[in-house]
Amino acid sequence: MNNAARITGAALLTLGLALFGWKIFFLGLPLVPSDPEGLWAADLAVQARGGPGTASVTVALPESEPGQVIFDERSVSEGLSFAVRSHGGQRLGVWSGPVDGAINVAAGFRVQLNANTEPKARTDEQTDDALLGATIELPARAPEVQALLERLRLADVGSEADRARMAFAFVNDEVGIVPTGSDDAILTLASREGSPSGKTRLLATLLRAAEVPSRVVVGVRLERGTLPTEVPWVEAYAGGRWISMSPTEGFFGNRPPGLLVMRRGSLNLVEATGVDAVVHRFHAIPERLRPDELATMMSPSSTILESLSLYRLPVATQNALRALLLLPLGGLAVSFFRNIVGLPTFGTFMPILIAYTLRETSLGLGLVMVFSVLAIGILTRVLLDRLHLLMVPRLSILLCIVVLVVVLLALWGRGLDQTDLFSGVLFPIVILTMLVERFSITLAEEGLRGALVKAGWSVLIAVAVYPVFRSVLAEHIMFGFPELLFVVMGILVWMGAYTGYRVSDLIRFRSFAQERDDS
Amino acid sequence: MKAVLDALRREGILGINGRNARYTLKANPRRLYPLVDDKLRTKQLCLDAGIPTPALLGSASHHFEIRDLLVRLEQHDRFVLKPARGAMGNGILVVTGRDEKGFVRSGGRRVTVDAIRYHAASIISGLYALGGQNDVAMVEELLQVHPDLVEITKDGVPDIRVIIYRGIPAMAMTRLPTSSSGGRANLHQGAVGAGIDIRTGNITHAVCKGRPVRRHPDSRLLLRGRPLPRFEEVLEIAVRATDQTGLNYVGADIVVDARYGPVILELNARPGLAVQVANRAGLQPRLESIDRLWRPDRPLAERISLGQEIGEVAYDA
Repeated sequence: MNNAARITGAALLTLGLALFGWKIFFLGLPLVPSDPEGLWAADLAVQARGGPGTASVTVALPESEPGQVIFDERSVSEGLSFAVRSHGGQRLGVWSGPVDGAINVAAGFRVQLNANTEPKARTDEQTDDALLGATIELPARAPEVQALLERLRLADVGSEADRARMAFAFVNDEVGIVPTGSDDAILTLASREGSPSGKTRLLATLLRAAEVPSRVVVGVRLERGTLPTEVPWVEAYAGGRWISMSPTEGFFGNRPPGLLVMRRGSLNLVEATGVDAVVHRFHAIPERLRPDELATMMSPSSTILESLSLYRLPVATQNALRALLLLPLGGLAVSFFRNIVGLPTFGTFMPILIAYTLRETSLGLGLVMVFSVLAIGILTRVLLDRLHLLMVPRLSILLCIVVLVVVLLALWGRGLDQTDLFSGVLFPIVILTMLVERFSITLAEEGLRGALVKAGWSVLIAVAVYPVFRSVLAEHIMFGFPELLFVVMGILVWMGAYTGYRVSDLIRFRSFAQERDDS
Repeated sequence: MKAVLDALRREGILGINGRNARYTLKANPRRLYPLVDDKLRTKQLCLDAGIPTPALLGSASHHFEIRDLLVRLEQHDRFVLKPARGAMGNGILVVTGRDEKGFVRSGGRRVTVDAIRYHAASIISGLYALGGQNDVAMVEELLQVHPDLVEITKDGVPDIRVIIYRGIPAMAMTRLPTSSSGGRANLHQGAVGAGIDIRTGNITHAVCKGRPVRRHPDSRLLLRGRPLPRFEEVLEIAVRATDQTGLNYVGADIVVDARYGPVILELNARPGLAVQVANRAGLQPRLESIDRLWRPDRPLAERISLGQEIGEVAYDA
């Protein structure tokens, strides 16, 4: 190893480790994630388009109550003014100002969910009038609803709790859900099927018609390993306590844990005036640190570090950076396997990209996808060889076949009710098409054996890197301490200056260790 | 593992990292690579300097030129169609004769004119080129095995690889095709690699598929001590061709043709390390001796004899 490389590597290593050590030992930042249950970083992002003119966007803001503690609230405003208002006991975030073109705003917060899911007791504001009256959304006086009330003989039943149970049983059993169904209570009743919102509104309407004080609630289901989904339900006040029930999720009594309450009294998370094409999206990632640890990560006792803390970024950006910051570790692994061990792979980054594919899907599904793509590569070669086609069109045909297979998989996935099979895997599919290109070029250049050897080692290295890419600890350390990139670079400088033997050299030249037996 | 490591250090075996960091990276400026990566440019370089190379029968750098190329080939029965920027012997089609039905490939398999057209088109599309850019399909005259080498060759043409460092020959081996290599002079595919004593041009030691062998696997003839024809000239054109490139660490591939004598087949700026196995000797001590003894402006003959002396020290040690 030459001296310049030795010193450069050592300098990078020292710099990274010094920053890292300072943050750990002097600022007391947590090295090992405590991985608490039910703690999430979330944000509700709204994208709208409109103007020129004055516009306002209103989103529901969650509130601390039994079952959930909200903290670290922040907003992204993009030049609009932001205010938090209270409307009928509901917290709302309101952005307003002149708009011309696209606007992106977001309300972010952290939430600790816990097992106690009983709504807090009724306050004076929540009078019977407010919980029983007919509204546009909940038309409890409509003739169709009254007719249904008659038919079910709901008015004859004594207790509020029994009426609530009967109304729930009717909506739960007799009304179907279709995702494209109506959001309207009356239309849902007429066609005996509706959207989750429609079904929920119908239940609340029916309850109010039957003199059970009730309101609709919209929340978000936060569950590890799945995307956050909006969930509507109904809260009815019967027998001196709140009963939560959902004819779409199928619960009655208490709501199950993992549901974050966003808004009561309306199912709209977002309302806007003066703009159109309003799209909202909920992002959430599980936090790996306790709230007090998060506080030290976000506001270490150094102003420079505070401004550099990645924990202050929007959730979607955090998510992307968490994945991105792991890639250098993959680079480290590939450098080791190629330059110290001497394994042949497809390019430098292909094993990292395959490992990334596995991270985004799962080990099983990812490997199935990788091997099917390789099989397609071989099969296409066998089939197209006779046609004597030129390289680029042939590779493009391969691309068409990969897309075709993905389409078939998506259809098959729908059959299995796995609608989200492909929502998060567009990037992996792009990676796989790159893999099939590299593979089939190698197939042509070096033959089946050479291509399979390279593919095999690439996949094996990817599988070796995969646990690191999935590791909560590695993700936390790289995200919380990005200065470790300098350490990675330092090691890479050293590795790059390593001029000694590779393990593959030892195998290849092993005959030199044997006795000279041929003279 | 430890025993192997010790042995490699003792023999001064050059590993891949060592070759890349200490030799190819330092001695070969990147901008000169195209001179040797493109066989047509290497050929032109040799022609300009009066160094013999196989005769060029034609070339096609665009698809529409393939037709002309095939017309020209009608006058020839024996030729080699290959990519100008190919690597590791990929994409080389050897035609050894023809009859009414079409061409005959080395090894006796038949090949149609259509297949030859497709092969040329694949080459032009960059199928075999380093990096996959567009390439040129070139056709060379098929060389004839020198009579001295016929009995230790099967179905192909043997070549000689000379490693040249800073203008001084450091090590050499010959690659002898076998029936299992399908007539190719490629060690990976089962050709015999035989080390050469560069003072005398005699074979010292041989390996096949990674194992030491004493005899050619097809003819069963002893290899050790067998002299290579016109070896002094081989070293001379190897060094002269390398001088033309400006590169300082080169593997020169040379064929001793029955009619023309030694000709330059191609030059390689990233020569492999198998030459050490064939010679049962490490490159490291020889390259270090060259670094120690190198002086600017040594005449050609002096450099060749310097290389031979260094080789001698290595054999005696």
